[in-house]
Amino acid sequence: MRLLRFAAVRLAGMLLVLLVVTLISYLVFFLLPADPARLACGRPCSPEGLANARLFMGVDVPWYQQFWNFLYGIVAGRTFGTGAAAITCAAPCLGYSFQDNVDVLTLIGERVEVSFSVAIGAAVLWLIIGVGLGVLSALKRGSAVDRITMAGAIAGVSMPAYLAGILGITVFAFWLDVVPKGGYTPIAENPLDWAWHLVLPWFVLAFLHAALYARLTRGQMLETLGEDYIRTARAKGLPEKKVIGKHALRNVLLPVITLLGIDLGSLLAGTVITERIFGMAGVGKLLVDATAQLNLPVLLGVTLFSAFLITFANFLVDLCYGALDPRARLL
Amino acid sequence: MSDPLATTVRRAVWADWWTRLSALTVLLMIGLALAADLLVSLEGQSLRPDTSVLGPTGLPAEGPSADHWFGVEPLTGIDLFALVVHGARTSLLIGLAATVVAVLLGLLIGASAGYLGGWWDRIVGWTTDVIFGFPYLIFLIALSAVTPPSVPKPLLLVIVLGFFGWPRIARVVRAQTLTLTQRKFVAAARVMGAGPWHVFRTELLPNLWAPVIVVSTLSIPSMIGLEAALSFLGVGIQPPTASWGRTISTAIDYVEVDPLYLIFPGAALFLVTLGFNVVGDSVRDAIDPRSAGRI
Amino acid sequence: MKSKATAVLAITMVLAGCGANSGSTGGDVAKGGDLRLLDDKTTYQADPAKSQSLVVTGLSLIHRRLTSWDVAPGKTTTIVPDLATDTGKASDGGKTWTFTLKDDQKYNDGTVIKSADIKWGLERSYSPTFATGLAYHKDLLDASNAYKGPFEGTELSSIETPDDKTIVFKLTRPYGDFNWVASTPAFAPVPKGKGTEANYGEKPLASGPYQIDSYKRGVEAKLTRNPNWDAASDPSRKAYPDTITYVLGQQTGVISKRLIDDSGDDKNAFGTSFASPAQLAQIQRNENAKKRLVTSKGGALAYLALNTERGKLADPKVRKAFQYAVDKASYQVASAGGAELAGDVATTLITPGIQGRDQFDLYKAPAAGDPEKAKQLLKEAGAENLELTLVTRSEQGYPEKAQSIQAGLARAGIKVTLKTLEEEAYYAETINAANPTFDLDLTSWQPDIPSANGNIQPLFQSSEIGGGRYNSSRYRNPEVDRLITEAQSTVDPVEAGKKWAAVDKRILEDSPVVPLIYTRNSFLHGSKVGNVVIGDYPSYVDYRVFGLTK
Repeated sequence: MRLLRFAAVRLAGMLLVLLVVTLISYLVFFLLPADPARLACGRPCSPEGLANARLFMGVDVPWYQQFWNFLYGIVAGRTFGTGAAAITCAAPCLGYSFQDNVDVLTLIGERVEVSFSVAIGAAVLWLIIGVGLGVLSALKRGSAVDRITMAGAIAGVSMPAYLAGILGITVFAFWLDVVPKGGYTPIAENPLDWAWHLVLPWFVLAFLHAALYARLTRGQMLETLGEDYIRTARAKGLPEKKVIGKHALRNVLLPVITLLGIDLGSLLAGTVITERIFGMAGVGKLLVDATAQLNLPVLLGVTLFSAFLITFANFLVDLCYGALDPRARLL
Repeated sequence: MSDPLATTVRRAVWADWWTRLSALTVLLMIGLALAADLLVSLEGQSLRPDTSVLGPTGLPAEGPSADHWFGVEPLTGIDLFALVVHGARTSLLIGLAATVVAVLLGLLIGASAGYLGGWWDRIVGWTTDVIFGFPYLIFLIALSAVTPPSVPKPLLLVIVLGFFGWPRIARVVRAQTLTLTQRKFVAAARVMGAGPWHVFRTELLPNLWAPVIVVSTLSIPSMIGLEAALSFLGVGIQPPTASWGRTISTAIDYVEVDPLYLIFPGAALFLVTLGFNVVGDSVRDAIDPRSAGRI
Repeated sequence: MKSKATAVLAITMVLAGCGANSGSTGGDVAKGGDLRLLDDKTTYQADPAKSQSLVVTGLSLIHRRLTSWDVAPGKTTTIVPDLATDTGKASDGGKTWTFTLKDDQKYNDGTVIKSADIKWGLERSYSPTFATGLAYHKDLLDASNAYKGPFEGTELSSIETPDDKTIVFKLTRPYGDFNWVASTPAFAPVPKGKGTEANYGEKPLASGPYQIDSYKRGVEAKLTRNPNWDAASDPSRKAYPDTITYVLGQQTGVISKRLIDDSGDDKNAFGTSFASPAQLAQIQRNENAKKRLVTSKGGALAYLALNTERGKLADPKVRKAFQYAVDKASYQVASAGGAELAGDVATTLITPGIQGRDQFDLYKAPAAGDPEKAKQLLKEAGAENLELTLVTRSEQGYPEKAQSIQAGLARAGIKVTLKTLEEEAYYAETINAANPTFDLDLTSWQPDIPSANGNIQPLFQSSEIGGGRYNSSRYRNPEVDRLITEAQSTVDPVEAGKKWAAVDKRILEDSPVVPLIYTRNSFLHGSKVGNVVIGDYPSYVDYRVFGLTK
């Protein structure tokens, strides 16, 4: 019951945060020096054509009205234009991309698979590697494994994703020719090919993040191992495996989950750089293209979508905290 | 800053050969950035294009030489050494300036929230949530497209990176302030009728330096990395201002035919971030031993 | 001096001989196979009203138009009939144009194509839902720009269809190039009453050799043969492959690498975007790939527009100094690594391959420019120590090109600050803004129709300033406006050609822009793709004649 109320409060806060994010984004985009109607006007364009295009796209009214129309569209859907050729965008309408002939939500939906495949696969990999190495380093403090892991942690944090990515491609795809040079195959089409194309991005991202998790796990582990109840457990003669596996790891999991929530949220939101390096068309590519073409509805939609993922990931983390740690003070 | 703290920091930086090497790398980069013009004129080059040093396909006619220490850029023939050292200037300037903005904002907002509490604390906490919830990379990409060209890009980057950086610092400062406020000397000052600004300056600030130093040293490399990432995506620093991120972004297309073009700026960026991270890490371990092993 | 000039000429010829495959590559082709077009776009559509596609590229695989182009290397592009029996009959001094449709032309679903369908297709292009395509016909058929398309229940009265075969256009003013305009996408038929949905272009009724069999956004579009296409009536489309697959959402770098590798399906593939300078450098090193690179002989005019409304640039004397100050040789290097792949130095506004083009050079100077002469001109005009802002796009190698212009102008003492903007922000500043603050604009222009009209009118008529139109030098000259209108209303192509050449010279005398190069485009294809042909205009591969070798 307490958990439910906690969830409800957090959910309400999340919606409020999203609303503010949308409003600020809208204001920023509205200040754009460009005219979104230009592309809808054809070549050559006439002043009348431009006015028609603005009216059609709904950008002929003041910003607050446009913002209201946008919010209203999420709840009730929108219609662009009049007569037989009018375009309807059903609720929840995050806007309509005139350049792609499709509503923004569908567009994002089609791209999500790519971004999620990259992010989730990499996260699983770095969790396994990171937590594993972390536990190992903590148990063998000062050993070679420990030192290498800790040095790797700092190197991983210092290495920009694009450098690591291009290094990976050059070595593994071009010199050794053991992985594809880029591109993406949908999982439904050929799961093996799907994984094959993702192996390199997964390992690159895992390399960048795993060390961090290893470090975190190690620190937390060392702290936990020093605590009374572990000592008691050991003193009681519980096997070491059980002490580590059941008691210590459980404590270690909390900060790891917090970090994972932050990382995964922002990673899912925009694997912009990874997608560029590995030549995959996910949400990140959608955003970059939309920026160049000033495809306002898409820009706004992706921003909102990403903000949703980040806040939602944070919300899940809080929920996990509540469930895992009975001491956690619930708001 | 109190003297014992300075000594601790100095000791931490000089702790072992690894940290020492990192600190020297950072110093070297700062030196390169400061003396960029001097060094480049010593080399006898500039940031000006020069197609006479290019081969028939627009690639450099030859590799590094006495004339061009790092070789030249394809298509333009601009000296690569000049690009790297001027890039160091851009990166460090933006990294440091953005950190200063973030620290100032974070310090003021965090300390006031912790000390004053009440509605102000709640507003700050909530704003922090909003900013954390912001997909800032996306937002930055959009924002660079929208700002009028009359706003200089480096300034814009400093402001934006600083703005998105303060909540992290404010959180640390607020937590520290909360502990401090409960201590006797702060309570005593309060009872004696000292104003908030006075308490902040005389009682809080001296005790906030330690955590602030830790977060800010670790914030510099992440700011440098962010600037490079934005320039890499084409929304950061614009030519002809040199930027590692932008050079790397162009160089990636040439990685098979002219790898040096990528290696020099790439290595510079990696080394400077690594250096700052190692030093920052060591400083943190020294100041706050309990946090050892956490990031 | 003379001997030196000959030596330079000889070197250029050697260079031209050893490198680029100008005009065409690939072996003899046979009917059949699956041609793969690797495309960086994620969206594919073939809606005639929304398209800005040239006659030779993708849209022509699906749709026929009233007229078409005859394109070949070494030959000025000429107009030929497509769906119409001839290239149109002008009467009333070029104000009325009449076309007759060929007999028994059908859509892929078997219905007969009627003249009313052409009219409907054009009317559709006025609806804001579909108004993103080429629009050269719009003000010629609706002077008031008030018509908003057929979906509101009104017709366009300027188009008459007295019977199912005949279509008559009553223009608002005499227009000699209307038969060229009739080759733009909107002159493709759309069955009357159809095409109301925004995504009509994903499954349109086809009149060309192919129809869209399936389409998945971001993945692929599969084109199969149109069973009702009448090959005998359509000599310009060869339609060799049995199927054509657009592979969508491929990044250009990946496309280039796949094509260089040339393995598996990629042997049957063609990359639809230009090879970038970095890719060109890589291709040049690979003997196998080099053979499969095809480069156009000419192309879009790259030019530096001088904002004639800004400060000292209002003075033609100052502007003339820029003709000597720029370094076109460096520009060539910055564009594609060297002159051979970048394109010849430009001295005229009308591009090669266009009827009536006259090669002249009002400001003779070496390719690298003559900064001393520029300095002297600036001194005479009292405009020393100029400090200007150059605006250009942040993609497509423009930053590097702009740096070469900046360095060139610096030699003549002109200080230039660069401002690079994302595509749409760039357009907002250069062609949308009412009072833009830039001084120089580095850009390029490829005419949409092979008439000098397409080279000149959009860029230099005073009616084309601001509001999304392309006269970014904001050049106004009543005499030039009059000459343009006169040339436009001339029906006889030879006579019109002469008039356009005169306008070209007249404009350059005022020096509102500095022509830089006729930009060459290079494309890479797989080893089994044949008949890869680029005519003198446009600088794109002719998709209509592609095929696969046995």
